[in-house]
Amino acid sequence: MRSIVLTKGVPDFSEGAVSFDEDGHLERGKTPTVMNPNDEFALQAALQTKIRHGGHVTGMSMGPPGYADVLQDAMASVYTDDSYLLSDRELAASDTWATAITLSAGLEKYDEEVADVDIVFAGFKTADGETGQTGPQTCWALDWPIVTHVIALDIDPDERILRAKRLVEGDVDEVETVEAPLPCFVVTDPEFEPTYRTASHRLTHKELRAKTEERAAEHDDHLTTWDHTDLNLDPDYIGLDGSPTIVSSVDPIPKASSDREATMIDPEDGMGDVLEEIQPYAAEAGE
Amino acid sequence: MTTNDDSETDPDEAESDDGEMNETEPDDGLSHPTRDKKHVRALTDGDYADMWVFCETQGGELLEVSKEMLGKARELMDGFEDDYGDEEDVVAFLMGDDCEGLAEECIAYGADVAVYHDDERLERFLHKPYTEIAAHIARGEGTVESTDWREYDKPRYILFPATNNGRDLSAKVQAELDSGLASDCSDLFIEENEVSNPVKTGEPGVKKTVEKVLHMKRPDFSGFEYSTILCLDNPDRDFHPQGASVIPGSFEPLEPDYDREGLVVEHEMDLPDDWFRVEISDYDRLEAGIDLTGHDVIVCLGRGIADDPTAGMELGLDLVDAFEDAELGITRGIVTSSYQFEGHVEAYSKEERQIGETGQVVAPDIYIAAGVSGAVQHKVGMDESDTVVAINTDTDARIRDFSDYFIEGDLFEVLPRLTTAVEAGETSLEAEAVADGGEDDD
Repeated sequence: MRSIVLTKGVPDFSEGAVSFDEDGHLERGKTPTVMNPNDEFALQAALQTKIRHGGHVTGMSMGPPGYADVLQDAMASVYTDDSYLLSDRELAASDTWATAITLSAGLEKYDEEVADVDIVFAGFKTADGETGQTGPQTCWALDWPIVTHVIALDIDPDERILRAKRLVEGDVDEVETVEAPLPCFVVTDPEFEPTYRTASHRLTHKELRAKTEERAAEHDDHLTTWDHTDLNLDPDYIGLDGSPTIVSSVDPIPKASSDREATMIDPEDGMGDVLEEIQPYAAEAGE
Repeated sequence: MTTNDDSETDPDEAESDDGEMNETEPDDGLSHPTRDKKHVRALTDGDYADMWVFCETQGGELLEVSKEMLGKARELMDGFEDDYGDEEDVVAFLMGDDCEGLAEECIAYGADVAVYHDDERLERFLHKPYTEIAAHIARGEGTVESTDWREYDKPRYILFPATNNGRDLSAKVQAELDSGLASDCSDLFIEENEVSNPVKTGEPGVKKTVEKVLHMKRPDFSGFEYSTILCLDNPDRDFHPQGASVIPGSFEPLEPDYDREGLVVEHEMDLPDDWFRVEISDYDRLEAGIDLTGHDVIVCLGRGIADDPTAGMELGLDLVDAFEDAELGITRGIVTSSYQFEGHVEAYSKEERQIGETGQVVAPDIYIAAGVSGAVQHKVGMDESDTVVAINTDTDARIRDFSDYFIEGDLFEVLPRLTTAVEAGETSLEAEAVADGGEDDD
């Protein structure tokens, strides 16, 4: 079983890490990069598949050279076997269409030159652009079957079928049971829960962890970087040149007009006003 | 410039198209067609018109968001006629099993034209056939009878619902139509735009005014900023339709007018079996998720728990338990954070508990916002609360502007004291007791 997990770096929005300038704009250069939180679910799905069925898991990312750290984190935390980074200046400022074209080129090159791919895993929205488009658009470029918003999955290697449960939101939320032929593309939902059912699965998990700590420490030896010529991409169709959309303006969230006048409370003064307001809602003693 | 063939082609023909494009491109040193060109179905100086709306359905009914988008599209295109003197239509399109009646309903909700594809295999959303059919309809392919109502190459604008399925479809259809997409929009308007980006103008240092641009506003960077996204033509490659997916609840539907007249068109197209390789073998209504509406008290946690996310969550839950009818909510900042929660509280960090523009809207009697900065997209979700109590160390935090009480303090200290007081039935905490108190280990 050969899997690839797509992941990317995003600004770290944790308090104390995120940096805004005086105008309220994100200072990307001063904010550290971390793995997109939703991609962790995709990595968990790939790891679950590896533990149950064996095989090889590759991490793939597109972005500046610093994203190699994100791929190293992926190796250390969920035991990818190797990493591929699609990186050069021509790729900068890609919107999702241009990103999808680039990622699909990377996946095609891998499939042709490295090994046949069985499953590509991707996370849902990124924490910065939050479009949720890149997975489906990358899959469109590959013309593979896709299952999105996956919350549970397993593979039947003999029949070469993926079985998954997926979330459908509408006026009523539903769960569908879906079957897709391999190779296919999986986008995990933030509700995805990996399961390791048997003692042997948990033992495999432990063994993988030991091997991978060693490998992650020497990540550079397991990293391959491809640029646009390696991927056979025309600069006119990638990066900013290839992007249909532009960001016309980025506005700090407008300061909402004050429609309430806050009473300032110093906790040292006993908070009597607040307690009088909330006390009527207290649970009965002893519940 | 020459209009390139924009018909959907099979892979072999796509290779031929690559050859054609190479003849018109300066030689950039690449000796053979590049991977990206086989995905480009470009038009230049094409003809575009109308605002199209994909109307998603569920269980044989239009989703509420489909009606909302039709109402907004109607408003925008009425404004378009006022501003530009051209009358262009709202075109609804949908597909499913036995959906002609729904197409009629789209007219009642504001569409001028409704195009539908009916096939029992389309009862539930499937990525491949829905994408192929949508692109086929949008390009005006199909029989003469089903396409003679229009004369343009592709829609000018297109809207999709930002549901799980609508969002996926928008991504794929816009890729297929060689155009761009802004996801999860909460506002839309049509206006001219002065462009200076050389990729769009064709030369640096020049500004050009582009008319009839759909401005697509969306919350971005985890709710810290709003971005306005534009989908603009490059000089030698048009990007139409300008596309957006719309957050449910962003707009109001029209009152349906069942006497309203419009054109209902059935689309025809063969659907190869190969498009149905993904099968849905079963489906069930999801057990009701967390519903934060309808509680007397909501305790909401924000990024202020960053120093110890698990402890912060525990303190919030303790306060929830002190009330008769209360529930815990979180901000988007927590949903998108990299915080590591220990297993026993991790369930409370899920997106289903998020309060705000892209989460739930609550209106409790008491709203306690602990460590919440007060992004405006969060305000949307709690602004109708009767009494808002904010706990924050930062007296300049935006949450203060829409709070009734602002407790200046560290939530790790304030929350346990509130919990203790509520449980004890106290309506004040003696200053003396405070002086004696240190940090309690819960």
